[in-house]
Parts: sequence; C-alpha cells; structure tokens
Amino acid sequence: MSKQLPRVLLIDDEELIHRLLKIRLGAEKIELQGAYTSSEGLQMARELQPDVILLDLRIDEEMDGLQVLQHIKGNEGTQRIAVILISGASDTEHRVRALDLGAIDFISKPFEVTELRARLRGAIRLQQTIRMLEQRAQVDGSTGLWNRSYFDQRLRAEIAEARRHERPLSIVMTDIDHFKVLNDTHGHLFGDKVIEQYATILSRGRASDIACRFGGDEFAVILPHTTLVEAKDVAERYRIMLREQVWPRHDTLIVTASLGVADLASCGEGGRKSDLLTLADGALLVAKGAERGGRDRVMTCEGMVPGENVGHPDATHRP
Amino acid sequence: MPLYSRFHDDPDMADLVALFVGELPQRLEVMEESFASNNLPQLHRLAHQLKGAGCGYGFDEVTNVCASIEQATKAMDRTRSRAALDQMRDIVRECRAGAKP
Repeated sequence: MSKQLPRVLLIDDEELIHRLLKIRLGAEKIELQGAYTSSEGLQMARELQPDVILLDLRIDEEMDGLQVLQHIKGNEGTQRIAVILISGASDTEHRVRALDLGAIDFISKPFEVTELRARLRGAIRLQQTIRMLEQRAQVDGSTGLWNRSYFDQRLRAEIAEARRHERPLSIVMTDIDHFKVLNDTHGHLFGDKVIEQYATILSRGRASDIACRFGGDEFAVILPHTTLVEAKDVAERYRIMLREQVWPRHDTLIVTASLGVADLASCGEGGRKSDLLTLADGALLVAKGAERGGRDRVMTCEGMVPGENVGHPDATHRP
Repeated sequence: MPLYSRFHDDPDMADLVALFVGELPQRLEVMEESFASNNLPQLHRLAHQLKGAGCGYGFDEVTNVCASIEQATKAMDRTRSRAALDQMRDIVRECRAGAKP
C-alpha cells in the first residue's frame, strides 16, 4: 500500500475557520480539504474517503451538523470515517448527542490550537489502527489473497457499481483438480506449495481483478468491467499457467485446475450476488464433470438459468 | 486604544490576522444590513460565525462582543442588539488601529 498522507475534510460554512485551520494545521502531516455546505461536505466525504472529518455543528440552513453526522454514519460508503464535531463550549447537549450518533470526539470553538492538533492526531492514529486490523481480517494468512469475507463484501459492492454504470462484471470460480490425491501422494507441504503457486498465478493477472481464497483449494476472482467472453479468456490463461508450471523435484508432474465463469448479464434483470455465485458454481461443476473428459478446463454459465439447480455440491456447505 | 491579536508576533499568523482585520469592516456592514432589514435571525447567525472565529485569530474582544449580539438577537431584543452592534463598531475601529500599516 502506498504511503498516503492521512486525509482530513473540514466541513464548515465559515471561510475564516478554513483559513485558520489551513495555517494552524499546516505543520501536520495531513492533506486538508474543505467543504462549505452540508451537501458539498457529504459529497466530498463519499468521493475523497477522508480518514477524519472535522464537522461544524452549525453548518447551514439545509442541515445542522448532527444531521450531517447521521448521514455520514448511516451511509455504508462513509460510516467508517472518524468524525470530530466542532461545537461551542456551551453545547453540552449537542456533544452528547453527537457522541451517541457515532462522533469519535469533539473540539470546542474557539480553538485551543495544541488541543485541536492533539485530538486530530489521536483520531488519525485510531483510524489507521482500525484500517490495519480490518485489512488483516480480510486477508488469507497463507496466500496473501483476499479472504471469503472480503470477497462477499467486495462482490456486493462491485455488483452495485456495475448496475449503476451499466458495466459488465464477471467472476471466476476455480479449484485444483484432484487436490486431495496430490496431498495424499506428495504430502501436505507440497499441497501448500500448489495452493501458494496457484494463488500467485491468480493474483498476478490483470491489476483490476480481485483474487480471493475461499479456503482449501477453492478460489474466486472478481473481474470488474469484464464480459463473459473476456472472462473466459482470462480463466484460460490461469488454467494454462498452472498446467505449464514446473514443480521442483516433481518435474514430470502436471497440476491442473477447473474453472467456472459467470457474468452478471446472465443473471437477468434483478440478478443478485447469490445468482452469480450459483451460476459460477454450476459452470465449475460442469467443468469438473466426467462428461467429455472432465477437469483441466474452463466452462462458462452460458445456457444456464439462475435459480435452476445447477449448484456445486459443495456450495451448500459454504458459510 | 488599539487592539492587537494575541498572535501578533506569530510569523505564521501575521498575514492571516491582517486579512481578518482588513475584512472586519465589511463583515460589520453586512451585520448592520441585517439589523436594518430587521432580520435578527440572520444577524444571530453572522455573530455566531464570527464569535467562533474571533478567538482563533487572537481577538477575544471580537468573540465577546459577538456573543453579546448573539444573545440579544436570540432574545429578539432590538435595543440590546443595537447597543452590541455599536460596541462591535468600536472594537472593529480599535482592531484597525492596531493593524500594521
């Protein structure tokens, strides 16, 4: 991850406060942005994804600071941003409300500059710790790929995004052929090596693709902006790369994988995440199937209908 | 008696304080206009904003007088609002007197 400066967004209608904080926070290692109205503030919060928002209690006629805070905390895209409320010293009731609504801290106007800096630093530190923990909880420990919980969350977001902009979206589900036999024959250490190697192949694809490990030898890749036909090509490349992999001390061994590809368009109008997963699972099942010499191949969901029982037999066992 | 900002010898703040003082008369005029058109809620709002900023620029007097205007307008008391605005006019003059030429 790039070392980006923590972003701070000031939402206040008073130009004097913007000017003042720009100078007073000038020495801090932050990137300070400003918004002057509640609607501009909410929009910038969504687009900039700042670490911390400094929010004036009395922002404008349209909304007060508490209402803006409610919007920030009630919206999935902004609820993780730490909000510090700026209030007058006498606004005890508002401060209590603000803390209850999810503000992390408050600062009194007129500002004590050193206090303001210290509180801001504290909020940034806490925010960075939370981000780090969140990220750790979303990464698969042995491969470094995203885990299942991240996959679910990200796929939901990507589906919403694809619908909003009417863009294609595909996913690839894959597992390694006869993985249990590989493990039993060559040992678990070798099995782990195969998992690691396949994870590397999946993660070194296109930069925009999101490779995840579901657990065991099962993987899934989210391919934003990608049609079914394009996704099939990507999946073919994964398949060939694994097939052509040379294994140290097992130089005649060929390890293969089966892959199922599905796209959002095949899920129909109101297709949901579960439909997409069912189709991809179904395609993987067909790829594995004995019909026309199963395994080591890519199948797409073409011709399948979501809702019909084409699911992977394992699908029901997944959390 | 001229008024000086608490931060008058802070090099980071010098330009900012000068700008603040330079704009005070204009802000006072806008407040006077609200008073003249009997828009006390707007005057309340303007006073509130300047109250929050005044101290930050090192002028506690500005904050204090704005607090008076805020209270008077909240009570919808025109007489007290007028008196507080007059006080504000004096303070703006004193701040201007303290500004570096």
